Amino acid sequence: MKTIKITLIILLSLSVQKVYSQKPVPAPAETESILLVGGTAHIGNGTVIENSYIGFDKGKIILAADADKGKVDRSKFAKVIDVKGKQIYPGFILPNTTLGLVEIEAVRATQDFAEVGSLNPNVRSLIAYDTDSKVIPTVRDNGVLIAQVAPLSGIISGSSSIFNLDGWNWEDAILKADDGIHLNWQNITVLTGRFTGKPELKKNEKYDEYVNTVKKFLADAKAYSEEKEHKEKNLKFEAMSGLFDGTKNLYIHEDNVREIQEAVNIAKEAGVKKIVLVGGADAWMITDFLKENNIPVLVKRDHSLPPYPESDVYLPYKLPYLLVKAGLLVGLDMSGNMEAMNGRNLPFLAGTAAAYGLSKEEALKTITSNTAKILGIEGRAGTLEAGKDATLFVSDGDALDMKTNHVEMAFIQGKSLDLRNEQKELYHRYMHKYGLE
Amino acid sequence: MKKFLLFFFLFASFKILAQETFPVNGVADKNHNYYAFTNATIYIDYKTKLENASLLIRDGKIVDAGKDISLPKSTIVYDLKGKYIYPSLIDIYSNYGEPPVPKETLPQIRKPQMERTTKGAFGWNQAIKPETDAVQTFTVDKKAAEELRKLGFGSVLTSQMDGIARGTAAFVSLGDESENEMVISGKAAALYSFSKGSSTQDYPSSLMGAIALIRQSYLDAQWYKQSKNKPEFNISLDAWNNIQSLPQIFEVIDWQSALRADKIGDEFGVQYIIKGNGDEYRRINEIKKTNAQFIIPLDFPEAYDVEDPYNAMLVSLAEMKHWELAPANPASLEKNSIEFSLTAYGLKNKQNFWKNLRKAIEYGLSEETALKSLTYNPAKMLGLENQIGSLKKGMSANFIITSSNLFDEKNIIYENWVKGIPYNITDWDVVDIRGNYDLTVGGRTYKLSIEGGINKPKAILTYDTTKISANLTMMRKLVSLSFDDKNVSGVTRLSGTILENPIVIKGSGQLGNGDWVEWKAIYVSSAKPEKKKPEEKKPLQLGDVIYPFQAYGRKEEPGKPKDILIKNADVWTCEKEGILKNTDVYLKDGKIYKIGKNLSPEKNDVEIINAAGLRLTPGIIDEHSHMAISGGVNEGTQASSAEVRIGDVINSEDINIYRALAGGVIAAQLLHGSANPIGGQSGIVKLRWGKTPEEMKIKTAPGFIKFALGENVKQSNWGDLVRERFPQTRMGVEQVYVDYFTRAREYENRWNEYNLLPASEKAKVSPPRRDLELETIDEILNKKRFITCHSYVQSEINMLMKVAERFRFRVNTFTHILEGYKVADKMKAHGAGGSTFSDWWDYKFEVYEAIPYNAAIMHDEGVTVAINSDDPEMGRRLNQEAGKSVKYGGIPEEEALKFITINPAKLLHLDDRMGSIKVGKDADVVLWTDDPLSIYAKVVKTIVDGIVYFDAGESEKMAAEIQKERARLISKMIEEKKKGSEVQKPVKKEQIIYNCDTIVDNYMNAL
Repeated sequence: MKTIKITLIILLSLSVQKVYSQKPVPAPAETESILLVGGTAHIGNGTVIENSYIGFDKGKIILAADADKGKVDRSKFAKVIDVKGKQIYPGFILPNTTLGLVEIEAVRATQDFAEVGSLNPNVRSLIAYDTDSKVIPTVRDNGVLIAQVAPLSGIISGSSSIFNLDGWNWEDAILKADDGIHLNWQNITVLTGRFTGKPELKKNEKYDEYVNTVKKFLADAKAYSEEKEHKEKNLKFEAMSGLFDGTKNLYIHEDNVREIQEAVNIAKEAGVKKIVLVGGADAWMITDFLKENNIPVLVKRDHSLPPYPESDVYLPYKLPYLLVKAGLLVGLDMSGNMEAMNGRNLPFLAGTAAAYGLSKEEALKTITSNTAKILGIEGRAGTLEAGKDATLFVSDGDALDMKTNHVEMAFIQGKSLDLRNEQKELYHRYMHKYGLE
Repeated sequence: MKKFLLFFFLFASFKILAQETFPVNGVADKNHNYYAFTNATIYIDYKTKLENASLLIRDGKIVDAGKDISLPKSTIVYDLKGKYIYPSLIDIYSNYGEPPVPKETLPQIRKPQMERTTKGAFGWNQAIKPETDAVQTFTVDKKAAEELRKLGFGSVLTSQMDGIARGTAAFVSLGDESENEMVISGKAAALYSFSKGSSTQDYPSSLMGAIALIRQSYLDAQWYKQSKNKPEFNISLDAWNNIQSLPQIFEVIDWQSALRADKIGDEFGVQYIIKGNGDEYRRINEIKKTNAQFIIPLDFPEAYDVEDPYNAMLVSLAEMKHWELAPANPASLEKNSIEFSLTAYGLKNKQNFWKNLRKAIEYGLSEETALKSLTYNPAKMLGLENQIGSLKKGMSANFIITSSNLFDEKNIIYENWVKGIPYNITDWDVVDIRGNYDLTVGGRTYKLSIEGGINKPKAILTYDTTKISANLTMMRKLVSLSFDDKNVSGVTRLSGTILENPIVIKGSGQLGNGDWVEWKAIYVSSAKPEKKKPEEKKPLQLGDVIYPFQAYGRKEEPGKPKDILIKNADVWTCEKEGILKNTDVYLKDGKIYKIGKNLSPEKNDVEIINAAGLRLTPGIIDEHSHMAISGGVNEGTQASSAEVRIGDVINSEDINIYRALAGGVIAAQLLHGSANPIGGQSGIVKLRWGKTPEEMKIKTAPGFIKFALGENVKQSNWGDLVRERFPQTRMGVEQVYVDYFTRAREYENRWNEYNLLPASEKAKVSPPRRDLELETIDEILNKKRFITCHSYVQSEINMLMKVAERFRFRVNTFTHILEGYKVADKMKAHGAGGSTFSDWWDYKFEVYEAIPYNAAIMHDEGVTVAINSDDPEMGRRLNQEAGKSVKYGGIPEEEALKFITINPAKLLHLDDRMGSIKVGKDADVVLWTDDPLSIYAKVVKTIVDGIVYFDAGESEKMAAEIQKERARLISKMIEEKKKGSEVQKPVKKEQIIYNCDTIVDNYMNAL
């Protein structure tokens, strides 16, 4: 309770200064170097430093050391913050989300995640990402500081980009532009009768046609990419070309065991260099296949119901563990119902993975370093190691557990974030109304 | 043997059933001859078998049956030595001879249809059509009749299977004569179902709506009958009353609905005959308790094609087990002395009738009961057992002549006599020509052997050692044979006749070159004895019935609670005692018996759980859930559906019950959806996994009803076509409430006035009409029913409190209540509780200002706060959701735990017996590995009423057993496929996960 009150005081003082706005103000450019002293640093690679020095300057981490193993010259840092008893984490990474592409799910005017057409690799989330979404500050508030924003719908929904969750505009916020193409695999069976009340999985009569469409598109794009210059450009093929030289990931969205295998086979045969499986509810059944093909998995929301009545009641909770145990590179994905708003619950997906098999530090990797590796931003994010971006936060307690996740300060590329959000503003407004503050 | 008649040629002279009132064209052709069938084995009825007996019939009736009966002179005698006579079979569930039900396919999104579209002085609902009179639309269908006669049926009950009240059925014979002659009883039964059939009217859109509609129809019909000066003429209510004295047949599609139908019957003093679906074995004890007679189908499922392991995953354990156990259903009914009839209705392929019946016998049904269920029982259910179904004096001459015991695999039905008229099915004067012959034709001698069935012999022809394919057909004593001998040009085609003693087949034919020749086949030796495969009668091995019939069901129904002593747990009491470290909790007879240190068991068989290092909390209560509901969660077709009851449609077999137990949930309020301002009545249950829906209900729970506000009830997100139902604005929503409460008060006044009349005055006036909807709303006014109201924005929350205050009651609970924080002071003053989501927001416009601090602010302001799920996934992590209140708003952990235990118990008025760990309260507790609000807390055991319903260790073992049981069933199915049996493609039945705004189009599919 005490720490909460302290946090509130800090927040209130902030809000006194900036009463003119409910929206947090994007952090000003970093001007000083900072040293965090005494916190328990969860490096994000599996190791923990109980009593740590974490120092950063010019947006980069320059120091991550064990205070018990040697002193550090504090005077080299413009600002030293004592975070004794607190937990330091690399910023959590939310992959595959529509955060910033939709404001209110049911209000059509605010939806910007599904473009017309089925093959849209050239459609880019990059320029639609709204840094002013009211949702983003609430997600950030739980330690999620980086998001891969991806469109959905169609066969190829478009190109995703990775953003730091702070900035005046999308250009400001880019961490990695156009990092990958998202391919929604179809299922051999198709759900029918959802609206007649008799939902059944029946044979998808269009599946073969679908497979041929994808194969042909990949082959055409590959052939196009072999030629450097084109008199007449094809925007779709241009967007695909990064898949064949390994500069872009292909994110295959699929849950079912047979289709996963088919999708991977087809993408490999087409010459796609880097493939990521997104979803993977059945992935535990084919871990050898995935390992042999070097396919990392962004596991769908482990807070899900088991796929079959017969399944282990906790199967989705155990899924990250089952895949990690088999030697796969695993990140966690929150996509699904209300995914933008639920982005803030990403840490707790990792908490559940820790409760059901993974060690806490292994679980932490599934929302930090593993995800960074999968997304290809491991040089910038995912761990508290020197040389990486100073994108990190301090929590009062274990950030993977909802009862102790209290983010007290957060930095993106060394810039200190304004952690206010409209929900907190409303909280204070009404606590004040009722005389409870 | 040989003087038997060629019945088809004699057909006309059998026409004994003259149509008295019809003019004759030609000369009167009356036939009052006697026909006698002698030396037969006769089943006078299902239990009386006479050897060497005779049957004498005349004018379509049985004159006599038995041994030593005297035959009048004008008797045509058939010697049936070695043959059998049975009463012909009766099927009392069919639509034989009825026009097909029109099927309209409606677009998925359409305008509402609030009123009936059929014109006339009918009742208000298109699905209630008791005026339907099947006899008026009945026509003889010769093809269908023949198909049924071939199976041995002689009469059927036929009806229009359409709608909820389906009107009357006719009982008819399966002859080819005129309708006038075939109808035995024009109105033989009245039929009902829960399916609205071809009705396009919106109401009912759910199973619970259908149930309410039936109940209200009974009440309306009573009122109509009692009304002195009828304010309206109503064909439907008139008809409803007129058909009540008939046998009442209710079609259901599973055992749960059988119990639902029976409950309606109990309420209105009707004992239905229930047309079941063949899954009665799953809860045979409850089925027995209905005291109903049943009509049971024989359409057993085919095995699934499960050779591909991924395909096999699509078939659920319940489906696999049902495949194995369905044929044992009739035996199960017999064993439990439940009277039933069998029906061929529903068989995709009618040819499977006998195959399936024999299978049922193989699975334990006695032949006597099989025969009874196809003769005596169906007749008795219609009250016609003195007319049909047995072969006694004066009864209808409906019988079949067979080659052997009816149930014998090789049995042949020769003839089916319908009202004294014979229908030939298989020729019985067939010469057995099977054997080896020397065939001479055109100077060549072949070896001919004739094999196969007596009626369908096959020829095998050889010359020297060369096999020649040959084609043999036989029609009585005429035979034709064709073959293509490669040594002779062209095809040899022969025709001839059979001479007997010894058998010679001879005649003439044409060789391939066109020459006519004589031919002859002389019998040499008898055919090879038919290879009798030594039928290895494997003893029948069937899996267990499990409770519930679902994955993670157990072999026994939950029994009595065992006494349990939980030792050394950290006990989170949710009482003023707070957390008691290292404490023992003693559960006895389903109650919390003692709490303390160093408690010891007071008898021998107390289960002791070592809970050192574990946390014990009260079981979680979910104030807002939609799991375990059958047939739709919304009856949102009208602004109010107060008459519908979730309690009528609880689904005890929903896997999400077990999953919730695995998350520490022990009880839930199962709520109607939020599609209309006044929804339906709640079902409040404990998660007694394995018990029946009725047993799951908390008997002492008070009545609750769902109300709803905001975007859902004004249909904001339903598309532009749905803009007709009042209300479409928050302004209209208020008026719905004011109107209903006003009318409910007036309704009560009307009844009060009537009830206060002296008896003499009462007799002079008509009683008011009982209205289930207003009655329910009146209960709210009288504080006998409490509101749980789905709500979002502050204006509407405030509005409902003001409406309630105007009508002098209190809104019990606001659920969702995402802007409760804005009006927490008003809620506190009003006395309303708030049951909310921890952190949901942003999914629609009305939740744009929802904040995760909502629970904390309401709590701090003094409102009783609960955290609820509205979702079976989140419903099993409610502890974590409560944990978020620690994060958002700094609620102390012990208080936050109360949000999911004692507080929902308070909101449900169950806190006197649930919601905390206190001596005397129900033994509903959960053992956790960690602090209960932590993400790391896992459930070790969930105990309800002192019974361990979930145990993490056991659950893993059960998962392994499920895998084993599936493997057993899969190999059994593969074996079945290898045997050549038909198999069906696996199709995964997906479950619709209900939440507040789930609308299903056809609730009958969603059971």
